[in-house]
Amino acid sequence: MKAHDWYVEHRADFVVRALEADDEALFRDHVARCEECAAEVAALEHDLRHLPMAVRPVAPRPDFHRRVTEAILGPRPSALQRWGWPMAAAAALLAAAVIGLRGAGRIDALTSALATRDSMLQRREAELTAVRDTLIGFKYADRVRQASIEVGGMRGWMLILADDKTHQWEVIVHGIPAAAPGQRYTFWFITGDGMRHGAEVVCDERNPAVLTLDMPPGARSISGGALTVEPMDEDPTVPVGRELAHLEL
Amino acid sequence: MMPPQSHSAGLTRTGRPRLLSRDREESLRARLVARDPRALSELIDVASPWLLGLMQGMLHDRDEAEDVALETFRIAWDKIRPPPAGETAVGLVPWLLTIARNRAIDRLRTRRRRARLGEIAAAGTETWVPAEEPDEAGQAGWHVHTEVHRALAALPAEQLEVVRLAYFEGRTHSEIADRLSIPLGTVKTRLRLGVGRLRERLAGLKDWIV
Repeated sequence: MKAHDWYVEHRADFVVRALEADDEALFRDHVARCEECAAEVAALEHDLRHLPMAVRPVAPRPDFHRRVTEAILGPRPSALQRWGWPMAAAAALLAAAVIGLRGAGRIDALTSALATRDSMLQRREAELTAVRDTLIGFKYADRVRQASIEVGGMRGWMLILADDKTHQWEVIVHGIPAAAPGQRYTFWFITGDGMRHGAEVVCDERNPAVLTLDMPPGARSISGGALTVEPMDEDPTVPVGRELAHLEL
Repeated sequence: MMPPQSHSAGLTRTGRPRLLSRDREESLRARLVARDPRALSELIDVASPWLLGLMQGMLHDRDEAEDVALETFRIAWDKIRPPPAGETAVGLVPWLLTIARNRAIDRLRTRRRRARLGEIAAAGTETWVPAEEPDEAGQAGWHVHTEVHRALAALPAEQLEVVRLAYFEGRTHSEIADRLSIPLGTVKTRLRLGVGRLRERLAGLKDWIV
């Protein structure tokens, strides 16, 4: 048992954690019972709260953000997992049906049907993921820019919704005719190092293109996006064709 | 040690605000309390560079630093609560840094108990760097970093050394005395004087968030 003066004298040492293990445990017990020391320790901790920021900030590794969110929130359930119960029920029914069936041909047919269904579910999962990403982009966009495009007498537009948190862009191209034979529309990121290939844009007057794009790896100072029409047989990594739209964010 | 180039009225070189209002912090806290995954994502973006910097500086091991940072985010997610009515909560980033630092010290002491600290931390690698790094002036919270450096730079060298060993390496009085070959009483005096001066200079710093 130590006198109260000892605790008063060692408050800063406790906050900094310079006390020996035994003394630290003793102090912790005391703080739990002594309002005066608890208040002074809290005040000292508050006043020193920025001291850890003396260190140099370190850029997280690329997968750190995902690892943290998955560790805390859990991995996003896949469509196959969400369909787990219906699939299990269907499998049970099929098993029962198989028992009553005669002939290998029917079993083969059922196996084939199951494979088709499985493939369809996987496609649906990919589509759902794409739709989800697109909707998130629409909902949380920090910056939105639009430019009009004129192609073959038709007036359309290109819209960019930039999400600064996820570093993803939604790019929508709408209202222009399909690219002429031998040509393709291409979206480019405008960066400090020049134009970086984004994606081929496939659309026509009735079907807009909706793209969810991650930032090109290694690119710095991405300032906007551009849409060009490129010859099909040219190197797809360098723009050589006519620029249809140019948007600085 | 010069501060980084200042920019016009609270703007970074990219023109984005370096400091946002208390409202933004309160909004983020409220969304965390409401279990909004987007808020967690924002918090990770804001705090990770500082958490990882502190953890790597203390633990000298990138994988372990990430483990502690992850653990810190998990604790924050589990424990975050709205502040009591009429009170202002401690800033989110300082709160996370406090959690992380305590975890790191626990790990360092476990290492030492197992006599496995060895050469890694004994090398005495600096855990902070000079403030003049213009390329990072756009980093959220950089102005706090420079203020903390000014406060540390104002300490006499012998106090700075003791503060560094205690605060950033988690060493106890006796370990510091052994390390510096000075009497225990001298360690205590230098530490208290140093912490007292830092307290005077840092107490007025406001919390921040991007």
